[in-house]
Amino acid sequence: MLQISNLVKRFGGIVAVNDVSLKINKGEVVGLIGPNGSGKTTLINVVSGFYKPDGGRIIFEGIDITKKEPYERVKLGIARTFQIPRLIGRMTALQNVAYAVIGSRRFKERKMSLSEALSEALYYLDMVGLMRKRDTLCKDLALYELRLLELARALATHPKFIMVDEVMAGLNPAEAENVVKLVRRLREEFDLTIVWVEHVLRVIMRSVERVLVMNEGKLIADGTPREVVKDINVIRAYMGEEVVV
Amino acid sequence: MVIKMIKIERRRGRLLIHLLNRWKLEWTVEPRYWRNPLIVVTLWLCLPLLLPLMPRGLFISPLTLLTAFFMANIVAVCALTLTLQVVGTGRFNFGIPFFVVTGGYVAALLDKNYGLGPALTLPAAFAVGALVGLALSPLTIIARGIYFCLITLILPLILHELVFWRVDIFGAETGIPGVSKLVSTGDLMQDCLFGFYMSFAILIVILFIVDKVLRSRLGLMFATILEDEDVAASFGIETKKIKVVIFTLTCGLLAIPGWFIAHYYASFAGTAWLEPWLLILVLLAFAIGGRGAAYSSVLGAYFVVILREILRAFIMEAALMTLYIILFAVFYVLPHGLWGLYRPPRYREYVAYISMRKKT
Repeated sequence: MLQISNLVKRFGGIVAVNDVSLKINKGEVVGLIGPNGSGKTTLINVVSGFYKPDGGRIIFEGIDITKKEPYERVKLGIARTFQIPRLIGRMTALQNVAYAVIGSRRFKERKMSLSEALSEALYYLDMVGLMRKRDTLCKDLALYELRLLELARALATHPKFIMVDEVMAGLNPAEAENVVKLVRRLREEFDLTIVWVEHVLRVIMRSVERVLVMNEGKLIADGTPREVVKDINVIRAYMGEEVVV
Repeated sequence: MVIKMIKIERRRGRLLIHLLNRWKLEWTVEPRYWRNPLIVVTLWLCLPLLLPLMPRGLFISPLTLLTAFFMANIVAVCALTLTLQVVGTGRFNFGIPFFVVTGGYVAALLDKNYGLGPALTLPAAFAVGALVGLALSPLTIIARGIYFCLITLILPLILHELVFWRVDIFGAETGIPGVSKLVSTGDLMQDCLFGFYMSFAILIVILFIVDKVLRSRLGLMFATILEDEDVAASFGIETKKIKVVIFTLTCGLLAIPGWFIAHYYASFAGTAWLEPWLLILVLLAFAIGGRGAAYSSVLGAYFVVILREILRAFIMEAALMTLYIILFAVFYVLPHGLWGLYRPPRYREYVAYISMRKKT
């Protein structure tokens, strides 16, 4: 589904993504882990079109999307959530999902009206359990609700491939567990391919089929959770050289 | 006898009039139904007709007030178009006089040199305004914030210099005389009345368009661009295309007041309209109006322009200084502008606007 070849992204002298090549197959749930500053979020930003890459290619379903604008990628079926929820605080939860419905490929194809878009937005809010909060301004929502709203907004674009960026950061164990269940359910119901960036390794190891590990902008491991935890490079990246020795 | 035939009672926010115990008339008197736009438009239309009834010897004449209404319509059209442009592009255009004057010169030159007449110069002024807007539209992609404001602020200055450089074409301060007049009755008051209704018609059409657009799905897309352009693009909204289209069309709309001024006064001297006062009035109308989407700009324009004329007639030399002090006080005292007095902000009601005050 997604093929990345030799992707490079620099910020001045810092190489945030350094010659990364990877492949994501249709229907997979892939975990993307790595220490702080390893380039996970930058990779997501480049794939979603938020940042322009300095080198390499991104192929999505056989289409070269390297130079495509973010909204074109959304129309192709790529969606994302933000690590720090980036919603419009002065809009209600419903409006925040509604503009994503309007931006989706389906909105144009079906020639939907604003009221139809709002109805569809309600469906996604209901899906993530935020129906009762539909008329609450985003600035008044709790972090857990914002995370759910981020998911609803991403789903509203009618994606085939979704990148979930640290959706459990700042949540308590019960909330995190709910989010895990929700992501699993969404995968089943919407037939999604998911790249899941996460810091909570315990959760990600039991929720994904394959794990990609990044460190200092490079992809250092790719395998099943069992293989990855035993990988010497991964242990070195997380624990340091001394522990390995 | 008559009292027995007619019985009036008030029940559940309605006024009931019973005639001969056979017919019943109902009229809703519950205040929120008074806010019917048709009532407002009707009162607005009747306003100039009441001016001749003003007692003579007041500090302000009916003609001055009528001219103020007419000018308020011009400022309101500009402020309204600016509202749409700001919401659709997320950028503040300080080059409003440039587009107004461009429309005026196009109308005046085409009319005088080619005898096209107002009916043909109107689409031409719109088209040229839009074309200039299209040529400048890449600015909405590459510049934002204060940088965009400064670039657009330069546009009227460039045109000002051009007008003085090519006196043979633009006539500098003298302008271009001999433009076809929209109407000439020979009576100044009637001409002014016509000017008011004509500018009112333009204003109502643009108000209707802007209001419809802002309430539609396009309005929600524009609001997202205004609030967070990157988020808008990340969720499938074609930000670049929308910004270019909206900037182009609104620049075309801004040329229409110029067309009207040229044909109303039968001459056009762009230098007078390129002075900062027009930009200041439009920006004040936009800011003082408050967060009422389309309507607040109209309210702001009427307030600012009429207050200016009243102060001019009342205290003459100190008029502008007093105007700015009053507006400063209004801005300070009314956090939601004039519109906020009529309709205070409601929790769930989203209105696209540029926040001008510190969030509390």
